[in-house]
Amino acid sequence: MQALLRISRGIDALSARVAVIATACVLGACAISAANAVSRYAFDLSSNAWLEAQWYLFAGMVMLGAAHTLRRNEHVRVDLIYGRASERTQAWIDLIGTLLFLFPAIGLMAWLAWPMFTGAYAIGEVSSNAGGLIRWPVKLLLPVGFALLMLQGVSEVIKRVAVLAGRRVVEPDHYERPLQ
Amino acid sequence: MIGHEWMAPLMFGGLVVFLLFGYPVAFALAAVGLAFGFIGVQAGFFEFALLQALPERVFGILSNDLLLAIPFFTFMGAVLQKSGLAEELLEGIGQLFGPVRGGLAFAVIIVGAILGAITGTVAASVIAMGAIALPVMMRYGYSMRVATGVVAASGTITQIIPPSLVLIVLADQLGRSVGDMYAGAIGASLLQVLLFCGFIAALALMRPALVPALPPEARTLRGMALAKKIAWGVLPSIGLMFLVLGTILLGLATPTEGGAMGAVGAVINAAMHRRLNWSMVWQSSEATMRLTAMVIFILIGSTVFGLVFRGLDGDLWIEHLLSDLPGGVAGFLIFVNVLVFVLAFFLDFFEIAFIIIPLLAPVAYKLGIDLVWFGVLLGANMQTSFMHPPFGFALFYLRGVAPREVKSADIYWGALPWVGLQLLLVAILIAWPELVTGMLDKVKVIMPGDVMIDIDVPVYDTGGFDGFPDEPAP
Repeated sequence: MQALLRISRGIDALSARVAVIATACVLGACAISAANAVSRYAFDLSSNAWLEAQWYLFAGMVMLGAAHTLRRNEHVRVDLIYGRASERTQAWIDLIGTLLFLFPAIGLMAWLAWPMFTGAYAIGEVSSNAGGLIRWPVKLLLPVGFALLMLQGVSEVIKRVAVLAGRRVVEPDHYERPLQ
Repeated sequence: MIGHEWMAPLMFGGLVVFLLFGYPVAFALAAVGLAFGFIGVQAGFFEFALLQALPERVFGILSNDLLLAIPFFTFMGAVLQKSGLAEELLEGIGQLFGPVRGGLAFAVIIVGAILGAITGTVAASVIAMGAIALPVMMRYGYSMRVATGVVAASGTITQIIPPSLVLIVLADQLGRSVGDMYAGAIGASLLQVLLFCGFIAALALMRPALVPALPPEARTLRGMALAKKIAWGVLPSIGLMFLVLGTILLGLATPTEGGAMGAVGAVINAAMHRRLNWSMVWQSSEATMRLTAMVIFILIGSTVFGLVFRGLDGDLWIEHLLSDLPGGVAGFLIFVNVLVFVLAFFLDFFEIAFIIIPLLAPVAYKLGIDLVWFGVLLGANMQTSFMHPPFGFALFYLRGVAPREVKSADIYWGALPWVGLQLLLVAILIAWPELVTGMLDKVKVIMPGDVMIDIDVPVYDTGGFDGFPDEPAP
């Protein structure tokens, strides 16, 4: 169990590191997009590479941030039952859900997304827009993001099993409905 | 072997069960989709190639320019909120209207409208105003019910006031341009603010004891000091709102660019108020990242679900079900409004927008319903639900920040007249669709030819409705 919890802590730390990149993507996207708008209207200059950089960063914040969001327990739920359940029941729901929902669904997505990246990499696919960016880096984000999410799922499973076994070493984050 | 005609209803039932189970919606949706995808492949209803289209769909979502507006608007809201915008606004406008009977309530409504337009989140508005305005109103003798009601109501009017993010997401899912969506929502949101102000004005005339004016000793700012407060605390925020809304409506900027400029504007605003620091910016952008990842993953999950559901002819089943309702278009509208009203107790806006609306929009389109009007109507409907006792989210948030002496009963009773006003708005929208559609025509007449309202956004299928029946992938 100790070894498993160490693994879980390691995965959490990895997700948090990757989330720093995702957070930086937010700032980068804001700055680039605002600069693009200004340069287009003020100087009549626009560059497809910079326009595409906006959504490359968007893809980065989503795919690289999803695992950390899972660790922070911030993926929204329908908490009609979950919200009223005891801590143990919640741990069971999370355990079963991760094993039956998250692993198969996200695993399949990662597996399906991999050939999309290898295909783009093999032919050196470039955006069809003039001066656009090369495609494989952003396509790589999909399988990588899904794989990180799977990995974070492993950590969540360990934490839930620890809760159910009465080991309060690592607390899973408490779920709160996201503010809307 | 289960017959083909049973697959879609079974899948829909599976969705309800999986969602109620309580695991995050994004993964539950994807799991239902893939489970039925495999059943469908095994039973020979479609080829595995259908599922192989999924990564391209996800890629389409990630490269969608319009969805990029989600982090920008969220970031703008987060920065403005953390830089004390709500406090400045309430203080300034509260002092301005303070001497009038019902003045504080008017201030709350106006601030709610401004905050809503910028942040678009019910919670942020209710929490900010509940924490700041509620104690002041109580101290100066406002009726508890009026005070809690006006805070909850003003916090929920965020949904349909442009340039709210809600309208952008609706535009994406309904396959309409954001410019049209904004133009259509202007009339409805003005009417809503007028209805609210009218109610307070009526109270001030008929039951003045419920909404007293601020006593002289509470009016700390007068003359130049007040003018300065307004200029410094209020105008930048309103300016920012019109900058974003105006540039998008005039077609000068795409919603994405408008959002990005708003985000930068919010940072500049914070710097002007000497509230800019690195940790605030980083926290805002981290919160933005998590919300964006959460929202987009719901959309990814619903894309998986939607692809398989259409593969199993679920869209035809829903259409058949809904267009055969007694009463034709009217029956459809009543059913949909009641459905969304009830669902909004349990699902948040993004869940409704990404799961329910793609199912309803094609039917509405086939029935000849204007989709912009449909979207504004659903938005108005949802915000009614958000403050309907006992489930409304706004009331929970208010309960969370209200001082102890406020009883839950006061919050519930206080909300009722405002729920009535919201329902009146929904009724007016249904009775006079011109309130929404009329604005569309007008804006188009004012700006012919050279300035286009329709913003040229690259069209990617994000699982939303694009105005035409979706072909299942080969």
